[in-house]
Amino acid sequence: MRASFENCIRCTICVENCPVFKVNPEYPGPKQAGPDAERFRLDGIETVDKWITHCTQCKRCDYSCPYGVDPSKLILNAQIRYVRENRKTLAQILFSNFHYISRLGSFFSIITNIVTSSPVLKPVFKAIGLRNDIPFPVFYFKTLQRNRKKAVRTPYSVEQKTAENLKMPLVVENERYGNIPYIEPKKRKAAFYHGCYLNSNAPVEGRMIISILEYFGIEVAIPDQVCCGLPALGNGDLDKARGFAKKNSRELAGYINEGWDILYSCTSCGHTLIYDYPEILDTKEGELVSKNTWNLYEYLLLLQKEGTIEFNFKPLDKMISYHIPCHLRGRGVPYPAVEIFNQIPGVNIFIQDENCCGFSGSFGFKEKNKTTTDTLGRIAVESLMEPEPDTIISDCGACRMQISNFTDTTIIDPIQILHKALSLDGS
Amino acid sequence: MKYNVAVIGSGMSGIMASIYLAEKGLKTAVISKGDPICSVSSGCIDIAGTGSDTFLEIEKFPAEHPYHKVGKEGIADSINYFKELIGKYGFIYSGDIDKNRSILTPIGKKRTTSLVPFPMEYADIKEGENFHIISFKDIKDFFPSYVVINYPGTKVSVFDAETDSTLGIATKMDNEDFLLTFISWINRQNIETDKVGIPAVLGINKTDSILKKLQEETGKLFFEIPTLPPSIPGLRLYRKFKKLAESKGVCFYGNAEISNFESENDKITEIVIKKPGRPDTVSADAFILATGSFVSGGLRFNKTEFIETVFNIPVYSPNSTDLFNKDFFKLGHPIEKAGILINENFKPLEAGFSNLFAAGSILANSETMKYGCGHGMAISTGVAAAKNVEEYLK
Repeated sequence: MRASFENCIRCTICVENCPVFKVNPEYPGPKQAGPDAERFRLDGIETVDKWITHCTQCKRCDYSCPYGVDPSKLILNAQIRYVRENRKTLAQILFSNFHYISRLGSFFSIITNIVTSSPVLKPVFKAIGLRNDIPFPVFYFKTLQRNRKKAVRTPYSVEQKTAENLKMPLVVENERYGNIPYIEPKKRKAAFYHGCYLNSNAPVEGRMIISILEYFGIEVAIPDQVCCGLPALGNGDLDKARGFAKKNSRELAGYINEGWDILYSCTSCGHTLIYDYPEILDTKEGELVSKNTWNLYEYLLLLQKEGTIEFNFKPLDKMISYHIPCHLRGRGVPYPAVEIFNQIPGVNIFIQDENCCGFSGSFGFKEKNKTTTDTLGRIAVESLMEPEPDTIISDCGACRMQISNFTDTTIIDPIQILHKALSLDGS
Repeated sequence: MKYNVAVIGSGMSGIMASIYLAEKGLKTAVISKGDPICSVSSGCIDIAGTGSDTFLEIEKFPAEHPYHKVGKEGIADSINYFKELIGKYGFIYSGDIDKNRSILTPIGKKRTTSLVPFPMEYADIKEGENFHIISFKDIKDFFPSYVVINYPGTKVSVFDAETDSTLGIATKMDNEDFLLTFISWINRQNIETDKVGIPAVLGINKTDSILKKLQEETGKLFFEIPTLPPSIPGLRLYRKFKKLAESKGVCFYGNAEISNFESENDKITEIVIKKPGRPDTVSADAFILATGSFVSGGLRFNKTEFIETVFNIPVYSPNSTDLFNKDFFKLGHPIEKAGILINENFKPLEAGFSNLFAAGSILANSETMKYGCGHGMAISTGVAAAKNVEEYLK
C-alpha cells in the first residue's frame, strides 16, 4: 500500500472514477467502502457490510487518488474478510478453483463445449447463482501447455542468432532516424506467462504471440504455471490465491535467475504478478517476479528502442477502437500497444479508456451482478462505437467476451493486428 | 522514455502547457500522481475578483502576483486560446474573459466567475427574475431548500430517478430512454417560468445533445447549478481536456508518484516514478512543475518549514508567526502566499536547475482563493511557462 487510509481527504475523486458507483445505488463508492469504512473495521468485530462484494476491483480508484491511498486494496482486504465472516457461496468456491475448471474444461473440451452451450445446464447455473443468458467461453483441447516446447533452461549454450537469420538488414533504413547502424542484438529470452484464458480459451492468439516473439529472434519458453490467483483473491480465498502465487513465483523466479524475462499478455494476470505478488500475496520470490515481469508490448517497444528488433510493417487499412482493460490502465504508462500500432501505416487507432466494460472476470458471471455488468457494458460499447470502427481490440479476454455481447463488430486481441501487419498470417 | 518536455501535474496549468507544447511539435509527457482538483471543481473559469471588469481587477492585484508576469495581453491570449481549443473539441464556454458574471450556487447564493460551461449559460439570475427548480428524490449533494430560502417563491419539482447520487443520475441521463421519460415528466409539471434550474446532472458524455433536446421538447431554458463534489461539470471538463491533449499527441503517465530524479550539472535529466515492480523513468530536455499547492500535494508544511514535494526546491515562506495567529478560515490567510518564486522566464528562483519551469497554483503569491483567479491563473501561467520552454529549447 502506498499511503495509509488516513491520508484520504475525502475529495471524492475516486468516487468520480468508480464504474460501479455510477450504476449501482447499493454500492457507496470507493471512498466510503475503502478509507471511510476502514476505521470501523479496525475494531476487529464483524463489521464488513454485504455491499463490499459489489466492487469489481477495477483499480480505477487507486489510479485516480491524488493522495496515494489505494482504496481498492482496502476494499479487497475487506472482501476477503467478508467471505471469512460469512459462508462462501457455491459460485465463490467454483471461481476460486477456476484453474482446475479451466484445465479440466479443455481436457474434456468436446464434452465441455457441448454441455456449457446446451440448455441442460441452465437450471444448474441458475441454482449456483450464475448467469445463464450469456455464452460461456469455448474451451480448446490444444492448449498452450499441451503442446508447449519444453523449457530450454540452458541459457548459455544457445547459439547466438545472427542478423541474417533474424531477416534484418545490416543497416536499417528508418525515416525518422535516417540510416542507423545495425546493433548486434543482446540475446533476449522470454518466459511467457499465459494464464488460464489464453491457455484454454484463446490458444490460437497465444500461439500468435509465441510466433511473433520467435520471428523477432527471441527465445521463448512456456513455463509450468497455474492460475495467477486473481479469481481466488476476488472470491475471497486468500489461502488458495497464496498457494497459486507461491507455485508460480517459485517457477518463474527459477527462470529469472537464469536470465529470462517474464512476459504476460493477459493484463489482469500481469497486474496480479506485478502488484499483488509482493504485497497481498506476500511470496518470497514475489519481489523478483514483480520486477522482472513485462507487458508483451512494453517489452517489444523496449527491444525496439535498444535496437534489438525493427518493425517492418505492411500497411493495413483499419479503423480501430481500442478498449483499454482497467488493469492495463492501472499500469499508468502510455499504452504500449498504441505506440506500436501508430507505426503501422494506415492504422487509425482510437483509445477508449474511460469505461470499465463491467465484466471483471468472475464478477460478470454472477447473476447478482447482472444489472451492473450489463449497464456498464452498454455504456462502454456505445463509446467504442463512436468513431465507427471496423475492428475493436482489447487485451483482456473477459473484456472481449463482454463487448461481443453488445456489438457485431469484430473484436479481437491486439496481437492479431500485429500478426497481420508483420505478414505472419500467410497473406 | 525520452521526451522533449515532461510536465509534472495534470491539472489545468499542466495540461494547458502540454497542449501548447504538443501543438508546437514537441514530444510532451504529463506525469500525475492522481486526478487533479479541477475534476471536482465547478468547471467555471474564474479569472479575477468580483468586480464587473476582470482586467480592472487584475490591475489592483499586488505587484508580486504571478498574473503580472504573464501580462494583460498574455492573459487574454492564453485564456482565449483555451476557450477556442476546447470549444472546437465540443466543450463550449459562454462569457467574455474581460467580464465577470454571477451564477447560482448549491447553497442558493451567487458567486462571481468569468467563463461558464455551456450548461450554465443561463445561470446568471437577474434581479426579480423567477425560475423553477427541478430536483431529484433523495439526491445527496444538492438541497433545493437552500435556493428557496434565498429566492422565496421559487417552486420545486422533484423527479424520482431511482438513484440518489449525482453521478448515478448523470449516467442515466446519457441513456436516451431515461431522458425521454424525464422529458415527458417535465412536460406534465406545471412550470410557469421560462428558466429552469437543475443540479448539474445533465449527462456525462452527451450533455450538449441532452440540453438541446430538453430545450426543444419543453420550450424552457435550462441551467445547471453546480453541486457538492463529486462534481459532474468538473469531471466533464477534466475528461474533455485530457482527451484533447491526447489527441494532440501528449503522453500520460498516471498513478505516478515521483520518488527520485537524476540531474547533471544544472540540468534535471530524468525522473523516476515509484511503483510496485520496476520503477518507470521519464527523461526530458525540460521540465514544468505544475503540481499545485497544498491541497494538490505540490507543497507541504511540516510544522516548521514549507517543502516542495518533487524536487525539494526553495519555497517562499510568508512570515511564520502570522501563520498561527490569524483566523484560519478567513480569506487572505498568509499561508496562501507560500509557493515557488519565479523569474521573468518562469524558472524557479534559487532552484539551481536551468531546465526547470513552474506554473499554476504552486507559484508564490498567487492567492487564488482571495483573488478568485484559480483556473484563469492556471491556464495563463501554464501557457506562459510553455512559451518559455519553447524558447529555451530553440
